[in-house]
Amino acid sequence: MSDATYLTLEKLTLAYGKTAAVENLDLSIHRGELLALLGPSGCGKTTTMRSIAGLMPVRSGKIVLDGRDITRVSANKREIGLVFQSYALFPHLTVFENVAFGLRLQGMSGAALTEKVEAGLKTVGLSDFAARKTPDLSGGQQQRVALARSLVMQPKVLMLDEPLSNLDARLRLEMRTELQRVQKESGVTMIFVTHDQVEALALADRIVVMRNGAIEQIGTPEEIYNQPASSFVADFVGFENITAVKDGMLVGPAGEVKASGPLPQAAGLAWRPRSIPLGSGPYKGTVRGVSYAGSSREYVLETPLGPVKAEVDAALPAYALGTELAFDLPPEAAAPLQKMD
Amino acid sequence: MFQNRTEALALALPAAVFAAVVFLVPVALLLSEGFKTADGWTIQAYIDFFSMPLNQAVFLRTLKLGLTVTLAAAVIGYAAAYAIVTLPASSKGKMIGLVVLPLMISPVARTYAWIVILGRTGIINQALSAVGLTDGPVRILFTETAVFIGLLQLFLPLMIISLISALENLPRDAVPAARVLGANWFQVFWKVILPLSREGLIVGGTLVFTGSLTAYITPAILGGSKVLMLETLLYQQVTVANNFVSASIIALILIAMSFAANILLRRIASARSAK
Repeated sequence: MSDATYLTLEKLTLAYGKTAAVENLDLSIHRGELLALLGPSGCGKTTTMRSIAGLMPVRSGKIVLDGRDITRVSANKREIGLVFQSYALFPHLTVFENVAFGLRLQGMSGAALTEKVEAGLKTVGLSDFAARKTPDLSGGQQQRVALARSLVMQPKVLMLDEPLSNLDARLRLEMRTELQRVQKESGVTMIFVTHDQVEALALADRIVVMRNGAIEQIGTPEEIYNQPASSFVADFVGFENITAVKDGMLVGPAGEVKASGPLPQAAGLAWRPRSIPLGSGPYKGTVRGVSYAGSSREYVLETPLGPVKAEVDAALPAYALGTELAFDLPPEAAAPLQKMD
Repeated sequence: MFQNRTEALALALPAAVFAAVVFLVPVALLLSEGFKTADGWTIQAYIDFFSMPLNQAVFLRTLKLGLTVTLAAAVIGYAAAYAIVTLPASSKGKMIGLVVLPLMISPVARTYAWIVILGRTGIINQALSAVGLTDGPVRILFTETAVFIGLLQLFLPLMIISLISALENLPRDAVPAARVLGANWFQVFWKVILPLSREGLIVGGTLVFTGSLTAYITPAILGGSKVLMLETLLYQQVTVANNFVSASIIALILIAMSFAANILLRRIASARSAK
């Protein structure tokens, strides 16, 4: 991966009618990078992707690819690949013809075409399916065809919309490995859109967390997972206990308590359930829920702050529902948040 | 579904008998007129019919108008249908309502309305002379152009509706996918939209072409006796000339043209990119 910026979005604003879907978005993507756009539905991630592909008009701002301003270039001249969530295969064509579609438009034919298409099908492991009609294929196979169809075009950037969401759990893992392998082998710059943090963490070199049409945080999977910048990101990556910090007080959704010790400089603090020790500590709560998860037990405590979720080793003695319990919110185990909602 | 075929056949019997008595038998009798002479069966009447210049002209004019109206309806229809299909659900219903609305008004009323617009003192002529483009009124009424406009207006909704239902079934994102793969709009239409909506084009095209051939009121009112079409000629042959042989020949020609149009449309619609 080189550090040179390959694809740049500058002050990008996209809108459906009067409602802005994305506002003033700035983003730089490196050559050969595998980037995830992560966020809940309606956050503008798919809209951003479609605008990069030229399928969504840009209200204002710029898209620059490989040194060329492509903001007003039409979709068929951008050299960008897009694998749609619905795969969008052409049902009237065979697998071979689907993959050949773009190449034929470039005027390729005969042996050169056959060679390229067959190589593309081999990459995704569908060499034996060339003559099939696409509606006869399974979801996973359809996605591979869609992937091959984009890959044979050797796009400058390959984008995938929710590439794993329509697959069952087993296929999902297989496809994840497959995507990583394809990306490594072809070296193509890849952007994929997902609402699933697990997918983003597992696949991406870098994650862009989006919310309400703006970027909430950009970072490596480790950074996003361990150092969320805001309460929104923290909540998204599984910090289930989030409090604001104000004048030495911890402020939860239900109320506030005085912190037992000095707090770090931050707008808020976030703990994963695993970081909350039970049985000792300066705070008090009542057990309102407990569930056994094999290696651990998950508790929900009712506290003056609001509900607190804790996960402790199942080997430790269990607390019954209704037990009054001491617990701790250790500042050193918390992720400091710069931004609270 | 049924215990045996007899039950199903019994249920279909009334409709079959009805169709046979009031449709098949009379049509067969009428068509046989064209082949029957005192000496036996012959196609001499057809040879005579087509050797008359007037009949040739009427035949060619009918064919030409049928084809141009169908072609124009397909071009306008595809654009309209695609635009409507991409609308959000709420406005889609309203737009389809607007397309269907003319079908609820009698073709007679719709056709007479064109006289108001196309006539010597009609809106178009008044506008043209007001702007100073013409000295006197331009003759539009009782020309092929008038019949063309009238027929297109009459049958365009059928094309749009047929194409809407076909385009509704276009796979989501198939068009954007083709765009991203490098297809310009012409290629998108030719390689993706047309092959995936061919059923709609065949149905719509057959309806429009057959409708244009067999429409009587519109050519009668907007074309008059100046722009005879097969249908108006047939009416003349029966009511004025009392010539049932000619009428029978024209009827068979019309039927044959409808079938030919359907076959031709299937050909066109299934012809994809040249490989």
